Parts: sequence; structure tokens; C-alpha cells
Amino acid sequence: MINLLFFGRLCNFCSGVPKQIEAANVTQILEILKTNHPLLVRELESPQVMVAVNKKLTDWHSVIKPGDEVAFLPPVTGG
Amino acid sequence: MHSHSSIQYDDFNIAEQYKNLKAVGNSLGSVVSFTGLVRDYQATMGLPSIDYMQLEHYPKMTEILVDNIINEAALRFNLVAVTVIHRIGKLLPGDQIVFVGVASQQREDGFLSVQFILDYLKTQVTLWKQVSHKERLYWVEANKEDLLKAKNWQHN
Repeated sequence: MINLLFFGRLCNFCSGVPKQIEAANVTQILEILKTNHPLLVRELESPQVMVAVNKKLTDWHSVIKPGDEVAFLPPVTGG
Repeated sequence: MHSHSSIQYDDFNIAEQYKNLKAVGNSLGSVVSFTGLVRDYQATMGLPSIDYMQLEHYPKMTEILVDNIINEAALRFNLVAVTVIHRIGKLLPGDQIVFVGVASQQREDGFLSVQFILDYLKTQVTLWKQVSHKERLYWVEANKEDLLKAKNWQHN
């Protein structure tokens, strides 16, 4: 299973979203979530949202394996 | 180069941070530091004050990204020591939120590197602000000017 994390404003759309999912790459995660969480997926598809696998920024086609942590990151606002 | 970074709930003591930076050695010619405060931007416009600010982050990734920024600053500038502290959790208007301190031989390296680190902290590190206003919480949007400032460093 892949562990999912959502941060910032993405959390507004996370109600009922599974914390774990079976998928082979990040794009597939979006396909799976689209059925029950279309509003979240619409947010995730925003070009400003970045994805990290095991705390490393990566691209959406990265291959992922069971046990990986996939985090979706909206534009940051620290400082 | 000496470096210290911390993502923490607790407040920090500026005098203590300065003392730590200065203690690095007698080769120093300058200590430049910046302290960011939680600004009540509503009040600055004559509107009702914000209630509080809430900061969340991505534990462990935030620390990695902050250290990457410090390392990048050390490549660009001649630095002897760097301290970066960023607070998380619930903060009130006027609270200290971020500290960046740099010890260097020359002041130019201090001024420029503090600016560099701040511009990157604002745009590259997994921290997100929420503001409570009139008892309603909303997420702070990224500032386009901050993104531009960080981008400008890529050409310098």
C-alpha cells in the first residue's frame, strides 16, 4: 500500500479520503481518487501542486512501490 | 561552516542566538540577523484584527529543505555560521515566527545571505500558514512577489 499525505489547502478536500492506496505511480493515484473525490483531484491537478515521494520532490510519473509515502504539496507560505 | 536549524513550537531568544553565532570565533567581522513577526495585516488596513495564525509543516521534509537552503547559501556566500529557526503551531499577532542569523567575515555576505535564505524559506520549504479571522480559518495564498524574488536568485 502507498501512504498518502495532503497538506495546506488540500486538506479542505480530504474528508473521507483513504490514507493508503494501491497504485504503481502518482498519476494512477489521481485516477483512483477521481471517482469518489473529484474536488480533491481538481485541486491536485493544479500546476502549482507539487508531489514528493519519501520526502523528495519528484514528477508525477515516478514509479512508486508499496510502503512509499506520497505527499501532495500546495504552494508553500512559510517565512 | 557551522549551522543550526530548528522547526519548533517554542519561542526563541534573539540574544541567545546572537551569542551562539558570535561564539564561533574571532575571525568574524559581522553577525547579521533577521527576525520575522506575525503581522496583523488586517489591522494595517484598519480592519478587525486577525485572531491568530496557525502554521503546519511536513515533518522531516521541512528540516531537509531548510538544511538544503543553508548549504546552498554556503556555496554562494562566504559564511562562517548560519542559524535558521522557524516556528510552527498557533501564533498570535506580534509573535516571533522566524529567525535567520548569519556570521561572516564580511558584512556583504551576511546581508545578502540572510536575504537569500529568507527568499527561499518563503517559497521552497514545506510550511503552510492558516489565519483565523472572525473565528474563521483560511489558508494563506502564496505571494507572487516572493516567488519572483526567489526566482531572481537563480540568475545571480
